[in-house]
Amino acid sequence: MTTAIPTSANKDLGTGRFRKNRGNSARSIGGIVAAIVIWELLSLSGAVNKNALPSPPSTFAALIKNFGGLSKSLFGTLEAWVIGMLIATIAGVVIGTLVGRSPVADAASETVVRMMRPLPSLALIPIAILVAGLGLKMTVGLVSFAAFWPIFINTRAGVRQVDNRFLESGSALGLKGLELLFRVILPAAAPLVAGGIQIAISIALIVTISVELVGGTGGLGQFVLLAQQANALSEMFAGIIVGGFIGWLLNVLFMNIVDRVLPWRTQGEIN
Amino acid sequence: MTSTQNVATAEQKSRFYSFSLGWLGLLALILLWQLAAILINKTIFPSFTTSIVAALHLITGPIFETDILPSIERTLEGFLISAVIGIAVGMLVGHYKSARSWTTSVFDFLRSLPTPLLVPVAVVIFGLNGHMVVATIVSGAIWPILINTANGTSTIEPTMIDTAKTYGLKGRSLFLRVVLPAASPQIFAGLRIALSVSLVIMVVAEMLGGGSGIGYFIANAQQSFNINGSYGGVIILAALGWIFDTSFLMLERRILSWQRGTVGGSANA
Repeated sequence: MTTAIPTSANKDLGTGRFRKNRGNSARSIGGIVAAIVIWELLSLSGAVNKNALPSPPSTFAALIKNFGGLSKSLFGTLEAWVIGMLIATIAGVVIGTLVGRSPVADAASETVVRMMRPLPSLALIPIAILVAGLGLKMTVGLVSFAAFWPIFINTRAGVRQVDNRFLESGSALGLKGLELLFRVILPAAAPLVAGGIQIAISIALIVTISVELVGGTGGLGQFVLLAQQANALSEMFAGIIVGGFIGWLLNVLFMNIVDRVLPWRTQGEIN
Repeated sequence: MTSTQNVATAEQKSRFYSFSLGWLGLLALILLWQLAAILINKTIFPSFTTSIVAALHLITGPIFETDILPSIERTLEGFLISAVIGIAVGMLVGHYKSARSWTTSVFDFLRSLPTPLLVPVAVVIFGLNGHMVVATIVSGAIWPILINTANGTSTIEPTMIDTAKTYGLKGRSLFLRVVLPAASPQIFAGLRIALSVSLVIMVVAEMLGGGSGIGYFIANAQQSFNINGSYGGVIILAALGWIFDTSFLMLERRILSWQRGTVGGSANA
């Protein structure tokens, strides 16, 4: 049996003790300051490679100077990301539910899922370029393909693992068909589905940016690549900072939504 | 007696049934690909058999030594470096509360950073070669290991640590003999994720400037319209991903056999 993908780092950060210590915000801000100081020292001393590491002030200056270009690139990246995620989420949840509820389809998809799960989807970039040409359509296609799998796998597992007691109480109360699905099965599977979406969020961002880097289709990836080719290292690092920030922000936003919409999430965690 | 035997055979039967159904599903998908390719009949969409033949050609040809082996080597090298650093730093960060609160926000930021963005930096530092690929892999694969290790370490029963301390264990032996084994189920879950991350990052780093390797080969094949070649390369990568994952699970099962039935671990269930 394929189990759901463990929600890796993200889940653990959200529920383990790791996060509870976050109340200690003074120290964590201190940590950021310390990291910037180390960065400055590394850049000043030339320990890494003088030409490879710009100093923090020049990076932040480049960040402000290129604000317009960066926001435009960021918008391009997010556009492909949002459309791809939407398609992947809808397809993953719908197909995952259908397959998870049918023992035959569930067994028939087992081997396919095992094969697809470790497939490095970035290897498909050249083929996607061949088939669809460069452009938003191809990026969205690849992003939704890559993001589909974790959502599908987790939804399938979540729907399959619904506690029989829930199902029996549901039918004893007269629920059946779609009503049973929406009021019992999906809420019970929701924590795992959310875990799948959370993995998909970072995968989708990685795929979007990789396509931009390899294909030069605009966005944050191309911004960083062009900066590197023009030897404008401060601009390059500014782009990377924006990338890290947006990755962090998307994760935090999603976690907050999940905490609010699924208050029962912590009880339903399955390892 | 007979009834339990019956139950056992019935279970075996249903297991065999779902197992064969699984392979039938895969077979159906392959047939679908084959049919679609024949019906569409375009060079950009070769059939399954053509792609498999292309993949076999690559494995038996000179590409095996110039591209496939280097890719495997880089992936494993990057993975092992990530494992050593990630487990060591993760245990320290997980064990010492103050280290945890100082590093949380910085690690949060770094692990959210989409790793492919770091390829241009690695190119500037290392140039277009295998070292660049390994460095990029480490910068991405280290995070699932580090975070899972830290988390596994910080959730160890305090009594276990206290007992070990009463017996006089401290420093390195405390970490190696108590903390590491106790956190190992979580560490292995992180390692498994990191292994597939390593493979993904290897591909994109090589596409952007590995100078050699499967990723480089696939990107080149596409640009020179060696279409069968790029499909063959993808099949090889898919097979590699599957082999890595399966062997990792086997290894995990063997190493963690002492704690089967207790908490965690990606091979449980």
